Amino acid sequence: MLLTMLLLGAVYVGFIAIFLAAGAGATLMLVIIGAMVFAQLFLSDKIALRAMGAREVTPEEAPGLHALIERLCIQADLPKPKVAVADIEVPNAFALGRSQKKATVCATTGIMNLLSPAELEGVMAHELAHVKNRDVLVMTVASFFASVAAMITQFGFIFGGGMGGGDDDEGPGFLAVLLVSLLVYVISFFLMLALSRYREFSADRGAALVTGRPSALSSALLKISGQMEKVPQQDLRAASEMNAFFIVPTSVKGAIQSVFSTHPSMDKRIERLGELERQLQAGPAAA
Amino acid sequence: MGFLDSILGGSRKLKAPAPDRLFAMTTAQVTLETELGLRHREVAGIVFQPLSTADFSGIVRESEELLRGAAEDTGSSVESADDAHGYRWIKVRDPDFEDLVVSLNLISGQLQTGGYGDRLLACVFAFTEEAAGRPVYFIYNFKRGSFYPFVPGAGPQRRDTESELRLKAQVGAELPIEPELARWFPMWDIPL
Repeated sequence: MLLTMLLLGAVYVGFIAIFLAAGAGATLMLVIIGAMVFAQLFLSDKIALRAMGAREVTPEEAPGLHALIERLCIQADLPKPKVAVADIEVPNAFALGRSQKKATVCATTGIMNLLSPAELEGVMAHELAHVKNRDVLVMTVASFFASVAAMITQFGFIFGGGMGGGDDDEGPGFLAVLLVSLLVYVISFFLMLALSRYREFSADRGAALVTGRPSALSSALLKISGQMEKVPQQDLRAASEMNAFFIVPTSVKGAIQSVFSTHPSMDKRIERLGELERQLQAGPAAA
Repeated sequence: MGFLDSILGGSRKLKAPAPDRLFAMTTAQVTLETELGLRHREVAGIVFQPLSTADFSGIVRESEELLRGAAEDTGSSVESADDAHGYRWIKVRDPDFEDLVVSLNLISGQLQTGGYGDRLLACVFAFTEEAAGRPVYFIYNFKRGSFYPFVPGAGPQRRDTESELRLKAQVGAELPIEPELARWFPMWDIPL
């Protein structure tokens, strides 16, 4: 997942470099990046739902899930999002959509079978917290800035190189431009991962506030992560592209260093939820 | 939810209840009964999310005792029960509508004084439409400080939106009705 994202981004930055080298102006590049961001904001939710095999469900089809989400929405003061269900065994849930009004929350049949009602409530509250915090928008905008930063570096180099025209100094070569812009991209990529982890913590905290049961979310996280390893590999691979807005990334096994991860480690999340539970037990006077 | 909250990843507190407009129901009830033929069923409930902390349980217990004490004077009866979603309902029965509103207000006031106003979900008032003999509910959303009608339709998970919109037009002048239809959350299986 991480490598794919990084490589995709690198290809993207490489393309921009080639375009620039071919003489495309900054305006054209901005338009191209803008179009990509537009597509990400306005189409990605539909594409993602289809990729997951999820479909929107009516209150008649999933009365329990709808009722649960409705009460959480009253509590969180949110308009009701669309509710979708993906008929797969991987226990997971995710939120999509650029704004609170256009949001969709999706649960897999796997997670609905695995968790108790209170745990499922915690997980859905986590996803609604992503909606409330506008995380899809924030992450899209952040990646947009990352691309723009890389582009400005390239443009600055070529422009700077061109200024010296006339003498035999031809400015930095194409390879140097590419390397520097890749470096800028890689740095911003890791900053984005850090941002993503931070927003996961925020969503956990939001979920704990809305449900008043941090421990239910902890237990849901434990159950999901325990279950993850047992799920057939094929499903995991099919699902791995969607990690960014999953409640738990699908590949928790292996010692991925925390800096390479979109999600904070399970231990840290549970530790922070435990802290919230302690605050809750102490009562509002102590908070 | 401000811009800054968005950037910082969400506020650290749940939204506190909006200014209390629960008492608007008392005046609206007269109109509902005399002009629209909606008879109140002498029962109303407040629903909130119980926390499993000693402090919270203590406050709920105290409020219920206070309510039961007051109920002896007014002749109302009090029940409490948890529903399938894990929310607590405190139900009050009293032939006098104003006593119902006062009782629910007492509970919400107690929870807010205790610092748990953010746990309050809704107040529900039950009516019967005399002509059709079917239930009609008015739900007060604490977060929004507004009411909305809820008319269950034929069949499970069905609601009669047409009647709800008509009710909005009919009592909108007297009752602060939730302006966004997207916030008219249904409540199925209301135990009233």
